[in-house]
Amino acid sequence: MNQHLSAETLNAIVDGELNPPELASAEQHLAGCLECSSRCLALGILKRRVAAAGAKYEQPSGLEQRMRRVIAPAPQRSAWMPWALAAAVLAVAVALVPLSRDHAAKSALVAEVVDQHIATMAVDTPPEVVSSDRHTVKPWFQGRLPFSFNLPQSLPADVTLDGANLSYVEGRPVAQLLYRLGKHRASVFVAQRGGVAVSAADRAGFHVAGFRTPELEAVGVSDAERPRLEELMQALKSAQ
Amino acid sequence: MPLLPGLYNLARWLTRDSVEAEDVVQETLLKALRGFDGFEAGTNFKAWIFRILRNTFLSSRSGLAATRTVALEEELEGTAIPESAIDRDTPELSLLRLADRDALEQALQQLPPPLLEVVLLCDVEEMKYREIAAVLEIPMGTVMSRIARARAALRISLDAGNTPGRRSAR
Repeated sequence: MNQHLSAETLNAIVDGELNPPELASAEQHLAGCLECSSRCLALGILKRRVAAAGAKYEQPSGLEQRMRRVIAPAPQRSAWMPWALAAAVLAVAVALVPLSRDHAAKSALVAEVVDQHIATMAVDTPPEVVSSDRHTVKPWFQGRLPFSFNLPQSLPADVTLDGANLSYVEGRPVAQLLYRLGKHRASVFVAQRGGVAVSAADRAGFHVAGFRTPELEAVGVSDAERPRLEELMQALKSAQ
Repeated sequence: MPLLPGLYNLARWLTRDSVEAEDVVQETLLKALRGFDGFEAGTNFKAWIFRILRNTFLSSRSGLAATRTVALEEELEGTAIPESAIDRDTPELSLLRLADRDALEQALQQLPPPLLEVVLLCDVEEMKYREIAAVLEIPMGTVMSRIARARAALRISLDAGNTPGRRSAR
């Protein structure tokens, strides 16, 4: 066993800051070291949680208008330069930030649900409510969640409900429904509407699919083929 | 103004006050306009404007108040968080506590400004280490050690359980 990876190296891994040879050598160590790989995983999760929690403060309404007035030149001054500079600042800013915050929020949400799904799969504990019966699973959430949802009467072929957990996504309480799609497993997170919308994404070999209704939003994660996950999501959507 | 939400968010965290945060953002934009000559084409615009914001904060009321603490923190850098905690903390980080957003927000609020700014620039603004080094005008090695310290401090704070967890144990 080589010497353990330093805190700086582990952080550089999760921040994507190692060059290919450094990364290859670090990965070789991680493959044989449970302690370092656990710490690396925990740092990765922490990074994503900080990304979500750290974007806490939304700009107050009217801030942009106020700032535009501030950087606009006084009317009596005829100089055109400040206008040109203001336009230049804004233009460069637009050009340099291809990713909107919505996009960042969406990737953070995708990362969070994939992490939660992996974490659920990794521990071999049974779901908090173990049942394939929708009449058992749905009532279990009464009093545990501040909203209600329906489960479909019939599921696509070769899909079964394993049970469910009470979980948190983006700091909000959600139902985590656990399904088996043949040999694959899926988590579907159902929340009250009000967060970020995800329609489709892929991450770390997992497919992510979602839908919204006027009251609810749901995101499903699975390593099964995308059409099968979408079929399950469609069945859930139709039941609402 | 696509950078405005990020500038406001960082200013709000650093100043801990919405009115002062707006003042800092406003002054940043004015300084950016006045100092546009100081921006070299081809260099990183985002890092440049965040550097102005950060320097504006340091000369603001809360920034000056924080400077005394910052100096103290830097002095204490070697001892505030034990090296052993940074290099060999418990790997079984409480995933349960990580899911508790209130606890994480509180842990972030408790970070000294030099650690808070580095972790927000890295994780929220998704800046690379070299961009963060440009914003904070510090060497890359210092960025790396501050990030390690910041995350270790967050984990220690979360594990200490400063707020009661909202989740029942599985």
